[in-house]
Amino acid sequence: MQMAAALPHAPALSGDELLAQARAGSESAFAALVREHQAMVYGVAYHFLQSWAQAEELAQDVFLALHLNLSRVESARHMVFWLRRVTSNRCIDAVRSAQRRRELPMDEIPEPSVTPRVNDPLMGELLRALVAELAPDARIVVTLRFQEDLDMAEIAAITDMPVNTVKSHLRRSMDALRRRLKDKGHVYES
Amino acid sequence: MSLEQELRRALARKDPPRGFDDRVLSKIAAGGTVRVPASVPRWRRASLPIAASLLLAMGTTYYVHQQQRAAEAHVRAEQAAHDVVLALQITSETISAAQAKVQEMTRYEPKNDY
Repeated sequence: MQMAAALPHAPALSGDELLAQARAGSESAFAALVREHQAMVYGVAYHFLQSWAQAEELAQDVFLALHLNLSRVESARHMVFWLRRVTSNRCIDAVRSAQRRRELPMDEIPEPSVTPRVNDPLMGELLRALVAELAPDARIVVTLRFQEDLDMAEIAAITDMPVNTVKSHLRRSMDALRRRLKDKGHVYES
Repeated sequence: MSLEQELRRALARKDPPRGFDDRVLSKIAAGGTVRVPASVPRWRRASLPIAASLLLAMGTTYYVHQQQRAAEAHVRAEQAAHDVVLALQITSETISAAQAKVQEMTRYEPKNDY
Protein backbone atom coordinates (compact mmCIF):
# COMPACT_ATOMS: atom_id res chain seq x y z
CA MET A 1 0.00 0.00 0.00
CA GLN A 2 1.09 3.56 -0.64
CA MET A 3 1.62 5.86 2.29
CA ALA A 4 -0.66 8.82 2.88
CA ALA A 5 2.29 11.20 2.56
CA ALA A 6 2.89 10.06 -1.00
CA LEU A 7 -0.06 12.03 -2.38
CA PRO A 8 0.82 15.73 -2.02
CA HIS A 9 2.83 15.77 -5.26
CA ALA A 10 0.40 13.55 -7.15
CA PRO A 11 -1.91 15.21 -9.67
CA ALA A 12 -5.33 16.05 -8.27
CA LEU A 13 -7.72 13.18 -8.75
CA SER A 14 -11.48 13.40 -8.90
CA GLY A 15 -13.57 11.98 -6.10
CA ASP A 16 -14.61 9.02 -8.24
CA GLU A 17 -10.97 8.25 -9.14
CA LEU A 18 -9.91 8.45 -5.50
CA LEU A 19 -12.79 6.18 -4.56
CA ALA A 20 -11.80 3.66 -7.22
CA GLN A 21 -8.20 3.66 -6.01
CA ALA A 22 -9.28 3.38 -2.36
CA ARG A 23 -11.49 0.44 -3.26
CA ALA A 24 -8.50 -1.14 -4.98
CA GLY A 25 -6.61 -0.92 -1.66
CA SER A 26 -4.75 2.37 -1.93
CA GLU A 27 -4.20 3.72 1.55
CA SER A 28 -3.11 7.11 0.23
CA ALA A 29 -6.29 7.44 -1.82
CA PHE A 30 -8.36 6.62 1.25
CA ALA A 31 -6.37 9.17 3.27
CA ALA A 32 -7.14 11.76 0.60
CA LEU A 33 -10.83 10.93 0.88
CA VAL A 34 -10.63 11.33 4.65
CA ARG A 35 -8.95 14.73 4.29
CA GLU A 36 -11.53 15.81 1.72
CA HIS A 37 -14.52 14.99 3.90
CA GLN A 38 -13.23 15.24 7.46
CA ALA A 39 -14.46 18.82 7.96
CA MET A 40 -17.97 17.77 6.94
CA VAL A 41 -18.11 14.67 9.16
CA TYR A 42 -16.29 16.20 12.11
CA GLY A 43 -18.26 19.46 11.78
CA VAL A 44 -21.65 17.73 11.98
CA ALA A 45 -20.46 15.61 14.92
CA TYR A 46 -18.98 18.61 16.74
CA HIS A 47 -21.98 20.89 16.25
CA PHE A 48 -24.29 18.08 17.32
CA LEU A 49 -22.34 16.77 20.34
CA GLN A 50 -20.55 20.00 21.37
CA SER A 51 -17.53 17.99 22.47
CA TRP A 52 -14.17 17.83 20.70
CA ALA A 53 -13.35 14.40 22.08
CA GLN A 54 -16.71 12.82 21.30
CA ALA A 55 -16.76 14.39 17.84
CA GLU A 56 -13.28 13.03 17.07
CA GLU A 57 -14.23 9.54 18.26
CA LEU A 58 -17.46 9.54 16.30
CA ALA A 59 -15.81 10.91 13.13
CA GLN A 60 -13.06 8.27 13.34
CA ASP A 61 -15.71 5.56 13.64
CA VAL A 62 -17.56 6.94 10.62
CA PHE A 63 -14.41 6.76 8.46
CA LEU A 64 -13.61 3.29 9.76
CA ALA A 65 -17.11 2.23 8.75
CA LEU A 66 -16.55 3.84 5.35
CA HIS A 67 -13.35 1.85 4.93
CA LEU A 68 -15.21 -1.36 5.74
CA ASN A 69 -18.03 -0.49 3.33
CA LEU A 70 -16.06 0.91 0.40
CA SER A 71 -17.29 -1.86 -1.87
CA ARG A 72 -20.88 -0.76 -1.32
CA VAL A 73 -20.24 2.89 -2.16
CA GLU A 74 -21.15 3.46 -5.80
CA SER A 75 -19.74 6.92 -6.50
CA ALA A 76 -18.18 9.98 -4.90
CA ARG A 77 -21.62 11.57 -4.72
CA HIS A 78 -23.05 8.47 -3.07
CA MET A 79 -20.14 8.55 -0.62
CA VAL A 80 -21.03 12.10 0.50
CA PHE A 81 -24.64 11.02 1.02
CA TRP A 82 -23.45 7.88 2.86
CA LEU A 83 -21.12 9.88 5.14
CA ARG A 84 -23.82 12.43 6.01
CA ARG A 85 -26.33 9.68 6.70
CA VAL A 86 -24.04 7.55 8.87
CA THR A 87 -22.77 10.60 10.75
CA SER A 88 -26.30 11.84 11.41
CA ASN A 89 -27.53 8.44 12.59
CA ARG A 90 -24.55 7.97 14.87
CA CYS A 91 -24.94 11.42 16.36
CA ILE A 92 -28.58 10.75 17.23
CA ASP A 93 -27.76 7.26 18.53
CA ALA A 94 -24.91 8.63 20.64
CA VAL A 95 -27.17 11.11 22.37
CA ARG A 96 -30.11 8.75 22.77
CA SER A 97 -28.19 5.73 23.98
CA ALA A 98 -25.90 7.45 26.42
CA GLN A 99 -28.38 10.11 27.45
CA ARG A 100 -25.38 12.26 28.12
CA ARG A 101 -27.33 15.37 28.57
CA ARG A 102 -30.73 16.17 29.85
CA GLU A 103 -32.73 17.90 27.16
CA LEU A 104 -33.84 21.24 28.48
CA PRO A 105 -36.74 23.23 27.15
CA MET A 106 -35.37 26.34 25.45
CA ASP A 107 -36.55 28.52 28.34
CA GLU A 108 -34.41 26.58 30.82
CA ILE A 109 -31.10 26.96 29.04
CA PRO A 110 -28.68 28.59 31.45
CA GLU A 111 -27.71 32.17 30.69
CA PRO A 112 -24.26 32.52 29.14
CA SER A 113 -21.85 34.46 31.31
CA VAL A 114 -21.50 37.21 28.71
CA THR A 115 -24.39 38.41 26.57
CA PRO A 116 -22.97 38.71 23.06
CA ARG A 117 -23.86 41.41 20.55
CA VAL A 118 -24.72 40.82 16.91
CA ASN A 119 -21.54 40.14 14.89
CA ASP A 120 -19.78 39.44 18.15
CA PRO A 121 -17.68 36.25 17.95
CA LEU A 122 -19.53 35.13 21.06
CA MET A 123 -22.78 35.16 19.07
CA GLY A 124 -21.54 32.02 17.32
CA GLU A 125 -20.95 30.39 20.67
CA LEU A 126 -24.41 31.37 21.88
CA LEU A 127 -26.06 30.01 18.73
CA ARG A 128 -24.13 26.74 18.93
CA ALA A 129 -25.13 26.39 22.58
CA LEU A 130 -28.79 27.01 21.75
CA VAL A 131 -28.70 24.56 18.83
CA ALA A 132 -27.02 21.95 21.01
CA GLU A 133 -29.94 22.06 23.40
CA LEU A 134 -32.51 21.21 20.74
CA ALA A 135 -33.98 17.71 20.71
CA PRO A 136 -31.82 15.27 18.66
CA ASP A 137 -34.05 15.12 15.57
CA ALA A 138 -34.45 18.90 15.41
CA ARG A 139 -30.74 19.40 16.09
CA ILE A 140 -29.60 17.22 13.21
CA VAL A 141 -32.05 18.97 10.87
CA VAL A 142 -30.72 22.41 11.84
CA THR A 143 -27.09 21.22 11.60
CA LEU A 144 -27.54 19.71 8.14
CA ARG A 145 -29.51 22.73 6.94
CA PHE A 146 -26.98 25.35 7.99
CA GLN A 147 -23.67 23.50 7.95
CA GLU A 148 -24.25 21.56 4.74
CA ASP A 149 -26.75 23.97 3.18
CA LEU A 150 -29.07 21.10 2.26
CA ASP A 151 -32.69 21.49 1.21
CA MET A 152 -35.60 19.77 2.94
CA ALA A 153 -35.76 16.82 0.55
CA GLU A 154 -32.05 16.08 0.95
CA ILE A 155 -32.30 16.26 4.76
CA ALA A 156 -35.35 13.99 4.65
CA ALA A 157 -33.45 11.42 2.56
CA ILE A 158 -30.46 11.48 4.91
CA THR A 159 -32.44 11.27 8.14
CA ASP A 160 -35.27 8.99 6.93
CA MET A 161 -37.84 11.56 8.04
CA PRO A 162 -40.84 12.69 5.99
CA VAL A 163 -40.22 16.05 4.30
CA ASN A 164 -43.05 17.64 6.29
CA THR A 165 -41.46 16.49 9.54
CA VAL A 166 -38.17 18.08 8.49
CA LYS A 167 -39.99 21.33 7.66
CA SER A 168 -41.78 21.23 10.99
CA HIS A 169 -38.55 20.64 12.94
CA LEU A 170 -36.86 23.51 11.15
CA ARG A 171 -39.74 25.96 11.56
CA ARG A 172 -40.19 25.19 15.26
CA SER A 173 -36.44 25.32 15.91
CA MET A 174 -36.11 28.68 14.20
CA ASP A 175 -39.08 30.06 16.14
CA ALA A 176 -37.57 28.82 19.40
CA LEU A 177 -34.17 30.28 18.55
CA ARG A 178 -35.72 33.65 17.63
CA ARG A 179 -37.71 33.72 20.86
CA ARG A 180 -34.67 32.89 22.93
CA LEU A 181 -32.51 35.46 21.18
CA LYS A 182 -35.22 38.11 21.51
CA ASP A 183 -35.19 37.58 25.26
CA LYS A 184 -31.54 38.60 25.11
CA GLY A 185 -32.21 41.67 23.05
CA HIS A 186 -31.34 40.23 19.63
CA VAL A 187 -34.28 40.63 17.32
CA TYR A 188 -34.31 38.73 14.03
CA GLU A 189 -37.12 38.99 11.53
CA SER A 190 -38.87 35.79 10.41
CA MET B 1 -27.28 39.92 9.27
CA SER B 2 -30.22 37.50 9.31
CA LEU B 3 -30.52 34.62 11.75
CA GLU B 4 -30.02 32.17 8.87
CA GLN B 5 -26.72 33.86 7.98
CA GLU B 6 -25.65 33.86 11.63
CA LEU B 7 -26.42 30.14 11.84
CA ARG B 8 -24.48 29.39 8.64
CA ARG B 9 -21.50 31.15 10.13
CA ALA B 10 -21.83 29.56 13.57
CA LEU B 11 -22.34 26.07 12.13
CA ALA B 12 -19.71 26.20 9.39
CA ARG B 13 -17.77 23.04 8.62
CA LYS B 14 -15.01 22.44 11.12
CA ASP B 15 -11.66 20.76 10.66
CA PRO B 16 -10.73 18.18 13.29
CA PRO B 17 -7.52 18.54 15.29
CA ARG B 18 -4.34 18.10 13.25
CA GLY B 19 -3.41 14.54 12.36
CA PHE B 20 -6.98 13.25 12.20
CA ASP B 21 -6.38 11.38 8.93
CA ASP B 22 -3.27 9.71 10.37
CA ARG B 23 -5.21 8.61 13.44
CA VAL B 24 -7.93 7.11 11.23
CA LEU B 25 -5.34 5.26 9.12
CA SER B 26 -3.56 4.03 12.27
CA LYS B 27 -6.82 2.60 13.52
CA ILE B 28 -7.41 0.89 10.19
CA ALA B 29 -3.87 -0.49 10.17
CA ALA B 30 -4.37 -1.79 13.71
CA GLY B 31 -7.45 -3.63 12.52
CA GLY B 32 -9.75 -1.21 14.23
CA THR B 33 -13.32 -2.26 14.51
CA VAL B 34 -16.22 0.07 14.29
CA ARG B 35 -17.94 0.73 17.56
CA VAL B 36 -21.59 0.29 16.99
CA PRO B 37 -23.48 2.65 19.24
CA ALA B 38 -25.71 0.93 21.73
CA SER B 39 -28.79 2.16 20.04
CA VAL B 40 -32.10 0.40 20.28
CA PRO B 41 -32.37 -1.80 17.17
CA ARG B 42 -35.31 -1.25 14.87
CA TRP B 43 -36.79 -4.66 15.72
CA ARG B 44 -36.73 -3.78 19.42
CA ARG B 45 -38.23 -0.38 18.76
CA ALA B 46 -41.03 -2.16 16.93
CA SER B 47 -41.44 -4.87 19.57
CA LEU B 48 -43.51 -2.76 21.97
CA PRO B 49 -46.25 -1.89 19.48
CA ILE B 50 -46.22 -5.49 18.22
CA ALA B 51 -46.53 -6.85 21.77
CA ALA B 52 -49.32 -4.37 22.49
CA SER B 53 -51.13 -5.43 19.30
CA LEU B 54 -50.73 -9.11 20.22
CA LEU B 55 -52.05 -8.49 23.73
CA LEU B 56 -54.97 -6.56 22.33
CA ALA B 57 -55.73 -9.34 19.83
CA MET B 58 -55.47 -11.99 22.56
CA GLY B 59 -57.64 -9.93 24.88
CA THR B 60 -60.25 -9.42 22.18
CA THR B 61 -60.27 -13.13 21.30
CA TYR B 62 -60.62 -14.07 24.97
CA TYR B 63 -63.45 -11.55 25.44
CA VAL B 64 -65.31 -12.80 22.36
CA HIS B 65 -64.82 -16.42 23.48
CA GLN B 66 -66.14 -15.57 26.95
CA GLN B 67 -69.13 -13.79 25.45
CA GLN B 68 -69.88 -16.83 23.30
CA ARG B 69 -69.61 -19.13 26.29
CA ALA B 70 -71.88 -16.85 28.31
CA ALA B 71 -74.41 -16.76 25.47
CA GLU B 72 -74.32 -20.57 25.18
CA ALA B 73 -74.76 -20.93 28.95
CA HIS B 74 -77.68 -18.51 28.79
CA VAL B 75 -79.31 -20.56 26.02
CA ARG B 76 -78.73 -23.76 28.00
CA ALA B 77 -80.23 -22.18 31.12
CA GLU B 78 -83.26 -21.00 29.18
CA GLN B 79 -83.69 -24.48 27.72
CA ALA B 80 -83.40 -26.03 31.19
CA ALA B 81 -85.96 -23.60 32.58
CA HIS B 82 -88.26 -24.37 29.69
CA ASP B 83 -87.81 -28.10 30.34
CA VAL B 84 -88.64 -27.66 34.01
CA VAL B 85 -91.77 -25.66 33.18
CA LEU B 86 -92.79 -28.33 30.67
CA ALA B 87 -92.16 -31.07 33.23
CA LEU B 88 -94.25 -29.18 35.80
CA GLN B 89 -97.00 -28.70 33.27
CA ILE B 90 -97.00 -32.42 32.45
CA THR B 91 -96.98 -33.29 36.13
CA SER B 92 -99.75 -30.84 36.82
CA GLU B 93 -101.83 -32.20 33.95
CA THR B 94 -101.23 -35.76 35.11
CA ILE B 95 -102.25 -34.90 38.63
CA SER B 96 -105.34 -33.08 37.36
CA ALA B 97 -106.30 -36.10 35.24
CA ALA B 98 -105.81 -38.43 38.19
CA GLN B 99 -107.77 -36.14 40.41
CA ALA B 100 -110.61 -36.01 37.89
CA LYS B 101 -110.58 -39.77 37.65
CA VAL B 102 -110.71 -40.14 41.40
CA GLN B 103 -113.59 -37.69 41.62
CA GLU B 104 -115.46 -39.54 38.91
CA MET B 105 -114.99 -42.89 40.68
CA THR B 106 -116.05 -41.51 44.02
CA ARG B 107 -119.21 -40.00 42.53
CA TYR B 108 -120.74 -43.43 41.82
CA GLU B 109 -119.68 -45.12 45.03
CA PRO B 110 -122.56 -45.71 47.54
CA LYS B 111 -122.35 -43.40 50.45
CA ASN B 112 -122.15 -44.98 53.82
CA ASP B 113 -125.01 -43.14 55.36
CA TYR B 114 -125.43 -44.88 58.54
